[in-house]
Amino acid sequence: MSLEILLIIAFGGALFTYLVGKVSYKGRDFLAVAISLALVAFVACLYGKAGEETFYYGFLGLNLVLRLNMLSWFFAITIAVVGALSIIFSLSYIRTREKTDFYFLMMLLVNAAMLGIVLAGDLISFYIFWEIMSWSAFLLISYNRGPALAAGMKYIIMSIIGSVCFLVGILSLYVSFDTLNISQVASAITSVSPGYILFILTAFGIAFGIKNAVLPFHTWLPDAHSEAPAPFSAVLSGILIKMGTYGFLLILYVIVGLKLFVSLGSGIFSFHSVLCLLGAVTIIIPTFIAMLQTDAKRLLAWSTIGQAGYIILAIAFGTNLALAGGIFHFFNHALFKALLFFAVGAVEFRTQTRDLDSLGGLAKKMPVVFIGTLVGICALIGVPLTSGFVSKWLIYKTLILEGSGFLAFFALAGTWGTILYSYKLIHNVFLGQLPEKHKTVEKAPFSMQLPVVVLSFAILFFGILPGIPLKVINAIGISFGFESLNVDLWGVTSETGALNTVNIFAAVLVAAALVWLVFRSTTKSVPVTQEDSYAAGAHTPVDKYHYTAEFYNPLHRMIKPFLRDVIDEFYYWIASSVRSLAGGVRRIYSGDVGYYCFYIILFLSLLIFVQMKWKPW
Amino acid sequence: MVAKIIQIILSPILALIVGVFFLGLARKVMARIHWRYGPPLIQPVIDMIKLFYQKGVSHGRMFDLGIVLSLAGSIVVVLFLPFGQICPLSNSGGLLVILYIMLLAPLGMALSGGQGANPNISIGISRKLILSLGYEVPLLLILLAVMTHYKTISIMEVVSSQQSTSWSIISFPLFLSGLSYFLILPAILGIRPFDMSSAPQEISSGPMTEYGGKYLALATIEHAFVLFISIALFVNLFLGGAANPVIFFVKMLVVFVPGLCINAVFPRFRIEQAIKYLWKWPTLLALLGLIVTLAVRS
Repeated sequence: MSLEILLIIAFGGALFTYLVGKVSYKGRDFLAVAISLALVAFVACLYGKAGEETFYYGFLGLNLVLRLNMLSWFFAITIAVVGALSIIFSLSYIRTREKTDFYFLMMLLVNAAMLGIVLAGDLISFYIFWEIMSWSAFLLISYNRGPALAAGMKYIIMSIIGSVCFLVGILSLYVSFDTLNISQVASAITSVSPGYILFILTAFGIAFGIKNAVLPFHTWLPDAHSEAPAPFSAVLSGILIKMGTYGFLLILYVIVGLKLFVSLGSGIFSFHSVLCLLGAVTIIIPTFIAMLQTDAKRLLAWSTIGQAGYIILAIAFGTNLALAGGIFHFFNHALFKALLFFAVGAVEFRTQTRDLDSLGGLAKKMPVVFIGTLVGICALIGVPLTSGFVSKWLIYKTLILEGSGFLAFFALAGTWGTILYSYKLIHNVFLGQLPEKHKTVEKAPFSMQLPVVVLSFAILFFGILPGIPLKVINAIGISFGFESLNVDLWGVTSETGALNTVNIFAAVLVAAALVWLVFRSTTKSVPVTQEDSYAAGAHTPVDKYHYTAEFYNPLHRMIKPFLRDVIDEFYYWIASSVRSLAGGVRRIYSGDVGYYCFYIILFLSLLIFVQMKWKPW
Repeated sequence: MVAKIIQIILSPILALIVGVFFLGLARKVMARIHWRYGPPLIQPVIDMIKLFYQKGVSHGRMFDLGIVLSLAGSIVVVLFLPFGQICPLSNSGGLLVILYIMLLAPLGMALSGGQGANPNISIGISRKLILSLGYEVPLLLILLAVMTHYKTISIMEVVSSQQSTSWSIISFPLFLSGLSYFLILPAILGIRPFDMSSAPQEISSGPMTEYGGKYLALATIEHAFVLFISIALFVNLFLGGAANPVIFFVKMLVVFVPGLCINAVFPRFRIEQAIKYLWKWPTLLALLGLIVTLAVRS
């Protein structure tokens, strides 16, 4: 089959682009875009195919296998599309910077590695691609230098901890079953004890939880997302952390299987409900923290953690509706979060800042980016007619009907928090008053507008016709052993309440048209400038007030004391303790030969003493 | 099919009439409590007609589109809400969709106001959003209790199962939620003591500062719809809906007038005080309601 060729194009293309970049930067740009688009086309052509193929025989006595099915196809197409758009966005974003060849090499390498992860058919090749992804992501996060170095360091340390847990899991599986092929492990695992399965799930859960930024493993994410270059933030938030989601799906549903996984433990102490609870907490706390951020990308980063919580909650919940909602939300999140990071990146590119307290009024200067952001935040909130609504509707519905009122409450309350921070984002950047210093801002370059437009269109399209992705997702659900959903082009029908997006769409359209007609047919309004605003008869001095600063100050004052990131402080405490311990240990190595002789004599006398006293040898 | 089309046309018109009537009634009742005579009942209609003939200022595209979106959102919500037995779009997603389309109205208003570039607007919107976070917490708990109790997300089924048994407000676990809904109703309606987001004397009507002419008229219509929606939701969920629009209307009046009396005598809260209130008693009641409902169900 052609999976090998796909990966060869992806990895080989990355290296080739780097080499071409040494000759001509135009050729490199062209090649990077061409390769990423070719990958999109290639993956799209693989739709509906399934199979396994061995691409390397005898790696440590194991065969390395590539595998394609609906699940990996769905992830692969998302990766390819977001990856290609981020490459296009990078063209003008990165042009004036240093080491651009290296940047493109890494971007393409990350995409190739992620494709490798979702196409891997055994855990060793999964692990190899996983490490390539982690390390190239590290290099990209630290690309900006300065504070980005610290952010990258934090990321890679947590990543390594995750990888170690992963490796422990793999080794243990290999010792038990003598194979690492995913389908063989899946068939062998039904015969082992629940305790062992719990151990495997915990080991893999930590690895994937760190990547997916589930509380309490989220602390790397806010720094990494805000310090990385904007196109990579989009990849990072949109798809890279979703490799954790893919891992969860793989381990929970493909390897362990639905029945085993739900039956682990009992009541509130079962693995399944603990994971649900973690998901719920991951929704609610980061959402509140996001409201207090003043850095646009940091706000989006916290929002990413919160949205990832929805996905984990839905996947862990384990019914066919919830799973469909979770996987659909992964897809939507990849679209709208990439869109929002692109938008913020375009603003940063033009204004050199992303501080929410000093921007404002850019809607008239960057209209395309503004509309993109509007669509993006609507999907983030889950406003009907965007795809985000459908996935959230599926998640809420199943939570309510299964009687998990509190999980549903966390999910819904998280959405209302989302409204607050996403309005803050759009208001503080695009609405309000345009400061004097940004009066000359130009609109974003074409290569930045294009990804924004494509993604906005996709969000609306899949929001009105959600049946297209849901059909694929339904096939995934069936392959996991769920009952089939009753999917049609415009929603989901079932006995307990249907969803019909086309009705909603038509209603909103007609109502809006009517109101617009009334609006147009009455007296015309007079356009005025932003300075010509009502101030109770007084003149408002230009640029004196910043209308966007400290937007949620009253709320901020109230909830700030409750929202210390205790977990981050705890990790820092561990880090500093380890450092001081290591400092203590270092004193032993004084560099003085006399001391070393002293140590040797001390050790020998200890041995002699032990031998004389207890005679163990 | 024809009946459905008539319903679709009829229900927003009815809702508008009821909403505008409530606006007029509110001013009249308030005036009487204040020992004034008050304007005639149709004063809001007169004002609206006048406003449509006046010129307003526009701050840009979003300023216009936001208000259109906001009003359209409210009209769509009405199509999903049963009014008596009139409910044209009952089968397209249920309470969750209502909950979500109810978002369009404040979102549109906020987007429109945002482009107004006036500090009063920014303050007003910020307060409005914080307040809505405040009352959504108990409101969601209430709605979840109702949906869990009746094991459905369809509002029509909630209404019909109440008509076959008894109203939720007098049935065992749900009366807690009903009480809590009544306690947060003024906050949902944005009337005193929870009118800090418009606060005419303080931030000159907040989000509506820059509105004049038709903008103000549309905003008033929007307000009328919001009045209708929040009270109709209460009647549907807790007072058993109604068999025909007249009884439904009477039930709405019974809910609205006591609310007005509270409105007329209370001074305005500050936003922090409002949040503290909303997250204390109403939330506790609603939480209790949900816990008991879940316990009874399992």
